[in-house]
Amino acid sequence: MTQLPPNESVYFDAEYETMPREQIAELQLELLLETIAYAYEHSPLIRETWQAAKVTPRDVATFDDFYEKVPFISKDAVRDFRDGRGDPYGGLLCVPTDELTAIMSTSGTTGDPTLVAEKWGGGSVGRPAIMYRDFWGMGVRPGDFFSLFLFTFRGPTYGFVQSLGGIPLLFDYDLMEIERLLRLSCEYRPTAMYNFGGTMILATADIAERAGIDPRDAFSSYKGMVWAGEPLGARARALADEWGMPLFEHSSVGDVTASFECSMHNGMHFWEDTVLVEGIDPEAVDHRDAQAITRDGERCELVATALTNRVAPLIRYRSDDIVRLARTPCACGRTHARIWTIGRKGDEVIVAGRSVLPIDVWSAVESLEPCRLGLFQVIRAQREVDVLRLRVGYQDTPSARLGALADEVAGAVLAKVGVTPEVQLVPNAELLRLGPPHKIPRVTKR
Amino acid sequence: MRYLVTLVALGGGVVSDATALWGVGTWVDRDGVRRPWEVSHTEIQRAMGHSSRVLGDLGVGPGARVLWCSMLSEAAQVWPFIVGSMLSGAQLSCADATAAEAPRVAMFCRLIDYRAVMGVTGAILDGLDEMGLAYADVFGAVAVLGARPDAYHRLTTAGLAPQHFALVGPAVAVAREPAGPALVDDAEWAVDLIDGHVAVTTKSERPTAFDRAVTCVRAASTSGNEIACA
Repeated sequence: MTQLPPNESVYFDAEYETMPREQIAELQLELLLETIAYAYEHSPLIRETWQAAKVTPRDVATFDDFYEKVPFISKDAVRDFRDGRGDPYGGLLCVPTDELTAIMSTSGTTGDPTLVAEKWGGGSVGRPAIMYRDFWGMGVRPGDFFSLFLFTFRGPTYGFVQSLGGIPLLFDYDLMEIERLLRLSCEYRPTAMYNFGGTMILATADIAERAGIDPRDAFSSYKGMVWAGEPLGARARALADEWGMPLFEHSSVGDVTASFECSMHNGMHFWEDTVLVEGIDPEAVDHRDAQAITRDGERCELVATALTNRVAPLIRYRSDDIVRLARTPCACGRTHARIWTIGRKGDEVIVAGRSVLPIDVWSAVESLEPCRLGLFQVIRAQREVDVLRLRVGYQDTPSARLGALADEVAGAVLAKVGVTPEVQLVPNAELLRLGPPHKIPRVTKR
Repeated sequence: MRYLVTLVALGGGVVSDATALWGVGTWVDRDGVRRPWEVSHTEIQRAMGHSSRVLGDLGVGPGARVLWCSMLSEAAQVWPFIVGSMLSGAQLSCADATAAEAPRVAMFCRLIDYRAVMGVTGAILDGLDEMGLAYADVFGAVAVLGARPDAYHRLTTAGLAPQHFALVGPAVAVAREPAGPALVDDAEWAVDLIDGHVAVTTKSERPTAFDRAVTCVRAASTSGNEIACA
């Protein structure tokens, strides 16, 4: 049974959340050595990757050993193992398949989704961390209503709400659900919401007006509203401010765990008793030439190792995510490190020698009224291109005006990014069909 | 014992009062309007017992795998089946019941040998069409194919033998065999027909009572707890 702290406690697990960093490191090393021995013994992908690098768990006694000797794995390595060996779990599974409770999958935003094997009630070691500590910190308490606005592919995540003593209000991650969300928020006065991104916030303006509901009233009971998946543009931020939405950013940490902002809103904490995070030079070829980037706030590529997962732990998983990290204590009192996401390495386009990421294009696109939902894709056949090609969503525009709108988008992007794009306009609905709106693929090959 | 362990693993471990609310789900009325539905832990526990028996009838037991295609708003109806799948010793996968999720459904079916895929919608089939995938290629190896009303005939036309699966308001109706009627839990729900739509009535005590509530599901006839889907 999940033990809850007293309601007045700021922390869900004060001992672990405020643990001195030296103790965190000791705990991490203990868990790391356990995990690598376990994974080497049971995971075919880990064992083969390590054997190719001529390293075994016996060669690793310290963090330095680990950083120097242990090879990286990547999502491509997992997919290659899956496709080459006919192993649906990509060589990561460490338990017999008949012990699994569930087989879920990753989002698939960056390509073919990969399987996520789960064993509920025994698949991990350690104390309750992700979600529990974060939402308790935002102010969720037993008896509170909690709006869940989500997809289902990661399984029945609503269990964590009930473990906190909360009562979930259940919504599909769909623009069509926003009016219902507004109405039920007025009726039940929930404390928290997970997960409401920029596209949803932008769409709320029109929907609330049509429904005659004041978003300020509907959102007045929330202490924490979590957004994730994509950057939040200036327009969405302005609306959130106007409506008094207490936003908290949330992001994955290399497919190993996730991170959440705390009340300081200065980076997202990840729980280091569950994950070992490294920052490396994004240009590194492999572990032998990977320079560690340890200075707080410097751009680096995220590498993550699961410390408590005993089903399919990722070891030195190179995420492709460009981030900034900080290990200095946070003003909230928590000692665990913080992360800021910048973009995906694989999303970068070099246009006539100039680096462009989707985030660079975002504010230009959403600055135009018909494109205010900020829906667009960068069409990237290869990393280096001569012309930046964009597919941009629009609404409320007669066909006779589309040529002019395309020119306006191109002009806005030129002003913001410094390159003139080729713009293909499509109705918003066409892009929204590509996935839950916070996770439409922002970069596509065609 | 396993039941208790599972409940704790999935959350709800802090609930001391089973009559407390489990959550607020939805049911869809005749006009397609989503209506809120407050569900207690007591109801969920009763539904779990029923869902375990249904899954047993479908051959979903130890070692079997089942893919549930549903939406989060349907969780109050589907959750007992999700837990029931686990209680039966089966392994569970989940996907949204949307066109955008068709690649995930196809991927799951390619990689995993499912005994049952439940809740297939017309939207998922639309997505498979867009991918150029034949339904028989995706679902041909699945023994139990639970099809929603908007998917059923498309699957039979493709030469498959689906079984009716429908969310009839707050109740779940599942056929036990291809072409058979869809059945709701006889201890919990009474069904009848109003203007071609299935109406549901509560038989046991619930925080939200239903009295011939007309749902979006159309049927040719009803008899007892059986629904002959249209």
